[in-house]
Amino acid sequence: MRNLLAMSFACALIVLCTADRAHAYPQYQLSHDVTCTGCHLSPAGGGLLNENGLAVAENESWKGGKPEFLNGKVELPGWLQLGGDLRGAAGAVSNGAMGGAGYPMQAEVYVAAGAKGFTFNATGGLRRPNEEGSAIHVLWSREHYLMWQQKPGANEGLYVRAGRFMPVFGLRLAEHIAYTQRFGGYPLYGEAYGAAIEYVSQRFEAHATGFVHDAIASAVEHGDGGAFYGEVRLGDHAAIGAQGKYAADDDQHRTYAGLTAKAYVPSADLLLQAEGDFVKNKLVGSDYSYNQLLGYLLATRPLAQGWLLDVGVGHYTQNTDVKGNYRDCIDVNVHWFTTSHIELLATTRLELVSSGPNGGYALAQLHYRL
Amino acid sequence: MRRAYVRALLASALLVGCGTTDDRPATFEVISLEILAPTCGAVQCHSTTTYLEGLAFDTLDACRESLRGGEAREILEVIDEQEMPPDSPMFENDIALLKQWFAAGRPGL
Repeated sequence: MRNLLAMSFACALIVLCTADRAHAYPQYQLSHDVTCTGCHLSPAGGGLLNENGLAVAENESWKGGKPEFLNGKVELPGWLQLGGDLRGAAGAVSNGAMGGAGYPMQAEVYVAAGAKGFTFNATGGLRRPNEEGSAIHVLWSREHYLMWQQKPGANEGLYVRAGRFMPVFGLRLAEHIAYTQRFGGYPLYGEAYGAAIEYVSQRFEAHATGFVHDAIASAVEHGDGGAFYGEVRLGDHAAIGAQGKYAADDDQHRTYAGLTAKAYVPSADLLLQAEGDFVKNKLVGSDYSYNQLLGYLLATRPLAQGWLLDVGVGHYTQNTDVKGNYRDCIDVNVHWFTTSHIELLATTRLELVSSGPNGGYALAQLHYRL
Repeated sequence: MRRAYVRALLASALLVGCGTTDDRPATFEVISLEILAPTCGAVQCHSTTTYLEGLAFDTLDACRESLRGGEAREILEVIDEQEMPPDSPMFENDIALLKQWFAAGRPGL
């Protein structure tokens, strides 16, 4: 733990000592746009970009270029928006012994169609084939939902969603490997069927979701329950949030509770985001339960036009009653947004395991936004 | 913010320090849900979503199926020799509990 603390300070120094420039990406919520809806159509962020999001993609990348779908070569009617993401990564992973790895991460298209406040939103694409399954496990729709927006075209107000989507919980980072996401309440492919009522404004936002698991296509979220996330902005450059989630499945009942904090330091052009969660797992049909602790701190700052540096520190205690049952990590990511559509990412992790060898990875990722 | 994080780290260190030695029961449920599900049953690996190598560990039913087969011993071996997981090593006390469960004849399957 002492080593981790020293490394945290060293990493923070690296971030603070690097050059300056402006905003980009979800990490830059408070320096550029206050809410996720400043750049995205969804009140929870992610997926299709709105007009401002497209402008940010163009202005903050190295070479720019037309940010619209397929570089603006396809004229779309006003009621229709299309987009998509292709991602893949390759490099080295280590669990004490080094090995090579390649990951076809994402191949998805997005559609949003509608008018007068009602929109149908869907994703369609490929996921890693289920070796025991059928076509439904290769081709799938991660999200498909109907959304009503109180103020069409604005980026605030009331939103109501029904369908398959990710219940909103905690920091919604693009990096699904953050401990708070991998082991917490916002895991990769954690979408479920549900309904949400959400309110977004410049001063605060609140998201409440009730959900049931997807019984047709196998899913990560096996339980039924609810999630809540609320965030209040403190002045222009800080925010605090709180979240809770409960999910009950045939095997266990999980209760999550946590806090988030975000602070942008204009003088250093630095954004800090932190999340801490407590998770209680109660096994069904048994008196046995165990508690977990999760934490993640991410510091982000631009390096130059189109370049962004993240340094993250994470902690995961698998069972608080057991000594030597935790892991910490240091993540360093360098993003290079070469054009409005292309991102190259170098992502590395050193994982310090309390009992056992240390692990980690160093991967190069290519991301193309359609 | 940095000061707050240092405090959070210290608090977390204290909590970790408060843990006892391992007195978890070596039951099928604990082995499956607390150890194998988060470590091996990630969605892109041995989950009911992906069934990599025909194995899944993210639910009790899937664990039961995966650990019943003749290759269960091989699963223990690759974990014990730290061949798996490939990028995120398992805790030694988790491996010890897993071995204890195997030595007891895999009760609960």
